[in-house]
Amino acid sequence: MIRHRFNIVAKQQPATVERVLRVVRHRGFILQSVNVSSSDKAQVEIELTVSGERPIETLQTQLDKLYDIAHLELISADTAAQAASIRA
Amino acid sequence: MTGAQLVLKVLQQHGIKHVFGYPGGAIMPIYDAFYDSDLKHFLCRHEQGAAFSAVGYARSTNGVGVCMATSGPGATNLVTGLADALLDSIPVVAITGQVFSSLMGTDAFQEVDVLGMSLAVTKHSFLVEDINDLAKILHEAFELAQSGRPGPVLVDIPKDIQIGQVDFEPYPIPTRVLPEFNLADVEAAKALIQQAKNPVAYIGGGVGMADAVDELNEFLQATQIPAVSTLKGLGTIAPDYPYYTGMIGMHGTKASNLAVQECDLLICIGARFDDRVTGKLDTFAPNAKVIHLDIDVAEFGKLRQPDVAIKGDFKQLIPALKTKVDITPWQAKISALNVEHAWRYDAPGEGVFAPALLNELSQRLPTNHVVSCDVGQHQMWVAQHMSFTSPYNHLSSGGAGTMGFGLPVAIGAQIARPNTTSVVVTGDGSFMMNIQELGTIKRFNLPIKIVLLDNQRLGMVKQWQELFFEERYSETNLSDNPDFVALARAFDLTAKTIHSKFEVSDAITQMLETDGPYLLHVVIDDKENVWPLVAPGKANHEMIEG
Ligand SMILES: Cc1ncc(C[n+]2csc(CCOP(=O)(O)OP(=O)(O)O)c2C)c(N)n1
Repeated sequence: MIRHRFNIVAKQQPATVERVLRVVRHRGFILQSVNVSSSDKAQVEIELTVSGERPIETLQTQLDKLYDIAHLELISADTAAQAASIRA
Repeated sequence: MTGAQLVLKVLQQHGIKHVFGYPGGAIMPIYDAFYDSDLKHFLCRHEQGAAFSAVGYARSTNGVGVCMATSGPGATNLVTGLADALLDSIPVVAITGQVFSSLMGTDAFQEVDVLGMSLAVTKHSFLVEDINDLAKILHEAFELAQSGRPGPVLVDIPKDIQIGQVDFEPYPIPTRVLPEFNLADVEAAKALIQQAKNPVAYIGGGVGMADAVDELNEFLQATQIPAVSTLKGLGTIAPDYPYYTGMIGMHGTKASNLAVQECDLLICIGARFDDRVTGKLDTFAPNAKVIHLDIDVAEFGKLRQPDVAIKGDFKQLIPALKTKVDITPWQAKISALNVEHAWRYDAPGEGVFAPALLNELSQRLPTNHVVSCDVGQHQMWVAQHMSFTSPYNHLSSGGAGTMGFGLPVAIGAQIARPNTTSVVVTGDGSFMMNIQELGTIKRFNLPIKIVLLDNQRLGMVKQWQELFFEERYSETNLSDNPDFVALARAFDLTAKTIHSKFEVSDAITQMLETDGPYLLHVVIDDKENVWPLVAPGKANHEMIEG
C-alpha cells in the first residue's frame, strides 16, 4: 500500500469534513490518519494521510472539485508513490 | 418578507418559471408563499416524479430544473432523481424543508439528516443555518448547478428560517468566467490530428451541455473525421453526416465499435470512457492515441490515459482544433462499414417488430419533438432506431439507468417546451415505476404520447438471463400485468392496444393526431432481444448478434 499526505484548507461548513472523508473512501483509498483543526470560525485545516493502490491523481482531482475546499496540497508521497504517479 | 417568500423571489431572479414538488409539514411556509406567487408550481404525485420532472425540464432546455419536497420521507424520495442527475451531470436545484433548527438532532417528527444523505447524490448541498445566508446560498446553488461540470445541488431549509423575516435584495447574475485553455496543448492536439491516418471523434453529452452542437458539427464538416456517439451524446452529430456511424458501446452499432477498435487516434469530446462504452477497458481502442477534451479535469486519466488532455469550454475549444487531415482510405472504410452493418427492419411474422415501429415513429414525428424513454431493451431500441437532431430531444437515463425515468421526464419536458410533441417510449416494467405520474398528466392535461412496448417481461434482465444465466428466468415474468388501457383511461388518457405490424402506421397517425394525452399499448414478442451486444467483460469488436 502506498501512503499519501494531503494538506487541506477548507471553508468551515456543515459536513465539510464528512465530504472529504466520503470521497477518500468512495474513490478507493483507506484513511490512515486525519487531523482537523480550526484556527478561525470560517476556516478548517485538515491533514489527511491515506493509502491505496490507485493513482493518487484520481483522489486529488476529486477532492479538488469539492466546493468547500479552498486549497489542496499533496505534500508528501514516498518514492513508490511518485513512481506510480509518473506512470499514471 | 419571510424566508419562504425570499426563496420564491430568488428562484424568479434566476429565471425559473416552473417548479415541481410535493408539500408537507416542514415546507408548508414555502407552499403558503406559492399561494400568491406568480411562480407556477406543478404538483407531482411522488417526490421522485418531481425530481425527474425537474431533470426533464433541465435536459430538454439545457437549463436548470427545480424541485421541492418536505423533510424526512419527502426528501428521501428525491434521492433517486438526484443520483440520476449527478451521474448524467444535469443541473437541478432541489429545495427541501427541514424541521425547526431547535429540533434538529432530536429525532423529531419527519427528521432525516438530509445533508448527510445528500453527500453521495449531489454535486454539493447546503444546510441553511442563518436566515441572512439564505439568499446567498440559493444564488450559490444556481451557480454551482450550472458551472463547470453541471450537477444537482440541494438546499435544506429549516422551518424557522422559512418563517423568519429578511430583506430582499436585487442580485445581478454574474457573467460566468470561462476557463482559458492552453495553446501549446491545442497545437499538440492538432499535430496528433494531422498525423492520424484513422482518427475517430468520440462524442459525449458534454458537447450539448456546453451548447457547442453547432461548433462540433462545423468541426466535423471541416475535417470530415468519422464520429461516434455515446448514449447521452445522441442528437449532437447531425444524422446526415456521412461519416457518422451511430452509437458506440455495449449495444452500439457494429460500424462504431469496429471503427473505434481500429482507430489510431481517438478524440474524446465531453465523454468519460464509461464501462458501457468501452467494454473490457484494456482492449478498448487498443492502437489509439487519445485526445481528451472536457470541462472536468478529474475525467482525465480516470480510466484511460490521454496523450493530450485539454480542459476548456467547448464553444471555444472545438473551433480551435480545426485542422487539415488526409484520410481518404479511412473514410472509404467507414462508409463501407456503414453500408455493411446498416439496420434491417424486415422481420418475419405478423407481430410488431419494435425497432421497425420506433424507426417509423421517428420518421413521422414533427421536427419539434422530444422523446424520453425508460430503461431496458426499449431504451436501447430508441437509441438505435430513432434519429435525433438535438441532444435536448433525446432524454435517456445514461449513467444511472433508472427505470421510472421516462414518464416524469416527459412531463418536465412538456411543461418546459409546451409547443413540442413530447413522446415517452416505455416498457411494461419501467412504466409501473412512476405510474402515479399519470395523475400529473391528467391534472395539467398534458398532451404527452406514451408508447408502451409490452413484452410482459423485465426484458433486458430476461435477455441477460437467457444469454448468461442458462435461461433461468428468475423474477422477470410480468404476465400478470394490469390492463394498461383501462388504467390509462382511469386517468383520462385516450388509449389503444395493437398486436400486429399491419396496425402500426394507422396507430401512429391516430396517436399523433389526438389532441390530448395518449397511450399506445403495443404487444410485442417476449423473445425479441437487443442486438448487437458486447457481452460483459468482452472487447467491443467481439459483438454478438442473435
Ligand atoms: C430502478 C431500477 N431498478 C432495476 C433496474 C434493473 N433493470 C434494468 S432493465 C430492467 C428491465 C426493464 O423492463 P421494462 O421496463 O419492461 O423494459 P424492457 O427491457 O422489457 O424493454 C431492469 C429490472 C433498473 N435499471 N432500474
